[in-house]
Amino acid sequence: MEHQRCYIYSPPEADERAAKRRRITQLNSPLVHFPERLQGYRDIWSQQEERIQNTLEEGDRSTLQNIANFVSAAAEPDCVEYLAIPTGLIIAGPSIASHGPFFDRLGRKIKEDANNAYLLLTSGEGPNLKTLLKNLIKKVASRIDEDDEENLGRPGTSSRNHPRLLDFDLGHLLGWQLKHQAQKIVVAIQDSEAFDAGVLVEMIDLFHSWLDRLPFVLLFGIATSAESFEDRLSGKALRHLEGRKFDVTQSDEIIEKLFSTTVASTNVPLRIGPNLSRRILERQRDHVQNLQDFSDGLKYAYMSHFYANCLSIFLIETLSFKDLASDVFEATRNLHSFRRWVEDMLESGRGHEVRKLLGSDQYLFENIVEHVRSGREVLSALSGAATVLAHVREALQMSPHVPLSSIWIRAASGEMIGSPILRETMLAIKKASSDKLMQLFASFEKVDETYLLFDPGKYQRDLEELVNANPNSAPLRSQHDVRNDSLRTTVVAQKVLLSKHKAALSEQDKAYSDLVGRFHDEINEYFSATFIDPRALFLSEILMFDLRSPHTEVFQPKPRFAIERSLASPHDYLGCDCCSPGGVRDREAPLSSSQPATAILYQLYLESGALINVSDLWSAFNAIAGDENEDEESKTMALFQCALAELKYLGLLKPSRKKNDHVAKMMWKGL
Amino acid sequence: MASAKRKRTDDEVETSTPRKLRTRAANEDEPDEEAVPEVSTPSRRTRGRQIVEDGTPKSILKKSGAFNGVSGTTPKSHRKLLFTTPSKSGKTETPNGLPTIVRNADRSARRKSNRKLLERTLNGADSDEEALDEEDTLAQQILSDEEEEDVQGQDAPDIGEQEDIQIPETPSKRARGRPKGSGRQRKQRSPTPPQDLPPYEEYFWQNRAGGNKTSNNTLSAQCLLNHDEYFQAMQCYEDHHNSEKEFLLELHSRAFNQWIFELEEGFNVCLYGYGSKRPITERFTAHLYDHLCGQSPYMGSKKTPKIVVINGYTSGTTMKEILNTVASIIIPPNTKTPNQLSSLLAFLLDRLSESPPSHPIPIILNSVDSPYLRKSPTPSMLASLAAHPFINLFCTADSPNFPLLWDVGLKAQFKFLFHDATTFAPYDAEIDVVETVNELLGRSGRRVGGRDGVGFVLRSLPENARSLFRILITEQLAVLLADDDDRGANGDGPTATPRNKRIVSTKNILPEATQGVEYRVLYHKAVEEFVCSSEVGFRTLLKEFHDHQMIESRKDAMGTERLWVPFRQEELEGLAEDLSGDSF
Repeated sequence: MEHQRCYIYSPPEADERAAKRRRITQLNSPLVHFPERLQGYRDIWSQQEERIQNTLEEGDRSTLQNIANFVSAAAEPDCVEYLAIPTGLIIAGPSIASHGPFFDRLGRKIKEDANNAYLLLTSGEGPNLKTLLKNLIKKVASRIDEDDEENLGRPGTSSRNHPRLLDFDLGHLLGWQLKHQAQKIVVAIQDSEAFDAGVLVEMIDLFHSWLDRLPFVLLFGIATSAESFEDRLSGKALRHLEGRKFDVTQSDEIIEKLFSTTVASTNVPLRIGPNLSRRILERQRDHVQNLQDFSDGLKYAYMSHFYANCLSIFLIETLSFKDLASDVFEATRNLHSFRRWVEDMLESGRGHEVRKLLGSDQYLFENIVEHVRSGREVLSALSGAATVLAHVREALQMSPHVPLSSIWIRAASGEMIGSPILRETMLAIKKASSDKLMQLFASFEKVDETYLLFDPGKYQRDLEELVNANPNSAPLRSQHDVRNDSLRTTVVAQKVLLSKHKAALSEQDKAYSDLVGRFHDEINEYFSATFIDPRALFLSEILMFDLRSPHTEVFQPKPRFAIERSLASPHDYLGCDCCSPGGVRDREAPLSSSQPATAILYQLYLESGALINVSDLWSAFNAIAGDENEDEESKTMALFQCALAELKYLGLLKPSRKKNDHVAKMMWKGL
Repeated sequence: MASAKRKRTDDEVETSTPRKLRTRAANEDEPDEEAVPEVSTPSRRTRGRQIVEDGTPKSILKKSGAFNGVSGTTPKSHRKLLFTTPSKSGKTETPNGLPTIVRNADRSARRKSNRKLLERTLNGADSDEEALDEEDTLAQQILSDEEEEDVQGQDAPDIGEQEDIQIPETPSKRARGRPKGSGRQRKQRSPTPPQDLPPYEEYFWQNRAGGNKTSNNTLSAQCLLNHDEYFQAMQCYEDHHNSEKEFLLELHSRAFNQWIFELEEGFNVCLYGYGSKRPITERFTAHLYDHLCGQSPYMGSKKTPKIVVINGYTSGTTMKEILNTVASIIIPPNTKTPNQLSSLLAFLLDRLSESPPSHPIPIILNSVDSPYLRKSPTPSMLASLAAHPFINLFCTADSPNFPLLWDVGLKAQFKFLFHDATTFAPYDAEIDVVETVNELLGRSGRRVGGRDGVGFVLRSLPENARSLFRILITEQLAVLLADDDDRGANGDGPTATPRNKRIVSTKNILPEATQGVEYRVLYHKAVEEFVCSSEVGFRTLLKEFHDHQMIESRKDAMGTERLWVPFRQEELEGLAEDLSGDSF
């Protein structure tokens, strides 16, 4: 079977029973309550997925609608003058990976709105005009009948009087159009930068000449800018186009939105922790810029949590004690957070409760349910506070702009209390003038008030009264406002002394300062009450998934490192006694004959220069791996050849013609 | 400031010496005499050095000065005789050939000093230490200098300063003497000089110019095993790591359920790591089969789940075959499918979306990064196939840099989860060991079964073909011999100084360009000898050779086609003998 190219698997007959046995043993693996957990995962993830989907649609709904409107508003087919092709320039931004899904959504939107034909072309399909047209026609044809290209001539040549059309003749399209009467034929060029400019110009030319018969609308996806797109086209082609620009929401903005709805929102049953969030966001920023990847990362975190952590079963809300195995409680008692919690209880002299927790599963279960609920509340409050903080900063127009994601990450790692960002914000509140504060209160209306532990409306009403009572048009200022300070310069004994001086406050300003002071104190209290360290919570391991390990390896593998490591220190993988590195730690194992042949050869390879004499390599190999026994040489040679071939297969070696029996080194370890 | 001062002293020295040199050279027309003052301008050099460096031990300086001063008038023949013997056994015969040696050495020294100057300006002072040129008889004359330099050699900047002064003064000699000393010393101390370099430094160190000194040893033809010998040897071989490898496999198979879960959640899985991953995929396929058998549509029914297995490493695997295999599952037989690849893919995807199967179709793909699946449309088509929610792709990748195969867009489509699955299992199916090694060493001629195999084929061919083959071999040998002659003319004489060495080493590179016989030349020869009368006939004959892999052809940089027989010189000679003899 191993040399067959493709086949359908069929199990070996004799192996039937062994396979069954294997299956049974694997069912006994430590997957306690796995089906329930799986169900829990599906429930919770489906909520998240829905949110993601909504956010995504929300994200470019207006853009999609605009483009769809543009398409339907484009020149009516019965219009007499065919001056130019209506063209949409879609500035989709540099994250190419998200272009595909965007154009798919766009296609669905355009097709559902009216009887439009939507034909998407990518650069691979249009190396030259002929191929481009062929592909275009094929896409239209695939709509009519799912037949091969041999039938493709039919639409155009249905009557025998006509000569048979070539398969790149737009006549086919005309035939199709006569039959289907599509309102518009929308041709979308997904990656316009990757097309040859000449092909685009020719295409525009050709489409323009058919515009009187075929109602074309062109859409260009542009990753750079409309100007650079314009520069690539000839003046004549540009005259044939009547363009309009559409900006697509950039992926980093959408990521931010996604983050705030899926992670930093107040009603999330399972949260991913600050470390993992940071990792995911960094990856987004530095490497992929891909919305799909973000949600995949999130999904995988959820999957890992529910798959690998059997305590995740407590996240299921409809859980009753009798459904649970006692293993689960035993595991809970081994949690770090459980120990901390219990120790705290002992210190405060609640020894009998602790005894009960240790002794009674039932009691523990009740406590767990209670704590999962309260823990969620605390985390939601924390997320709410992070949102409030972000809002405050935004309303006061503080710079630099700190996105909610980074505020949330800091808050969730318990670093918010006493952090510069919080102090700065509190200071800004103190100094805020009345107009800014008004905006701030107004913006609170958008915040989910469940977790807002104070009533901003009260302050808002007070402030309104003050402002209305203010005779001046100038906004009220608090005593901390810099503009109420003045610097006084005095020269004493030829030295300049600077002294700060508070301007006298008006009555209104005093009242305002008082209000600001009260507000400041209350919000400060609110923040210090909510910004706790979530990792100190009992059951934080269940409520928050913050392991970087499976995520990093699974999404950002280092295959080259893995291969180099396995060859340079095979002991790391094999764990055998014979090849252990001995006393030397953190060093590669010294060469020994017991290592696998390829590993030995690889380490010799590392020592040699850019050009390797195979004959010398063989002598070195033979000296290490070979036996004294001369008869064994053919065995050693076989191993040598095998190792050499494997290195070649891995791409580490290349034949060299510089000298006889020499090979060229291709990779340097760790490079 | 200090450097400016030094410069000035340099200038002083310079203005005084060169003129003198020139006058002297003009007076004395004998070349070896000319070398004398260059070798030992003792007072000046020591002065110059004393000005520059105060920290160096005086005694050594004095010693060198005194030594040279004494020897300044005497011909060097004495010292030469004294010192040459230990360094080079072949030099015992040289005394009578002394003048040429000195002349040659001098000439090469000039060249070298020029080169050195150039190198220094290009690479900085360090490049001196890299000059790894070997034996030079004249080096012995300034042994004293070397000793002194060994002391100073500890201090790298000092060397630079000395060079600055002395090169303009007596360019050829100084430049030659010093690097030689330091180079040799270094060489003796450690054959692989720098240890524990960071990877990038190591790269540059190993790729430095002239850094590639490898021996000219070759593997004897009997040494490498052929297929039979190889398999025989491997059959007796018992790997003592078998239990550990089995344990690794066991570890990986614990993740099977996890992988199935991941596949079910819409991800695709890609395994990487060293060792063939076929054992894993085989077990996983079996496991998946069992798993699916226990699921709803198959439970208790006669239907069996269909799993597509593709061995990407098998030569000639195409996208077409993959798609056809998938199609055979989801499309009832006798349905007409599109012929063209892209429309077939679109057809399949449509079909999957319109009438989805009861579960996603698993595709097990071994070696997704195999050369057969790397070419342009295949990865993107695989990606769009894998992106479909009703396709589960489970694949393995062998090469260390496989992620480079896919750009961001393709990666997003593949939706891979990567798992390290190092197995240390031999690549039995993936690699043809003997063939790969032969190819690696440019000995693919062994494929036909060596000389005997070629003889066997030739015997079955008509007379004309044999003649053509003979012509080809003779021509190829002629080219090889011409190369050797060049080498011999330059390198055989007693004056095998480094200059000639270099020529030899360049000659070794030469065959790359001139390997084989030009197609035109061969054709004309063949016509001349009445082997064939037209190019068609010629082609027909060549095709036969090609089919038996007895010749190889390649277009060189100029675009001319070259043909050659993939054998070593010895084997070629043997073949030529066979052909001209009466064994045919």
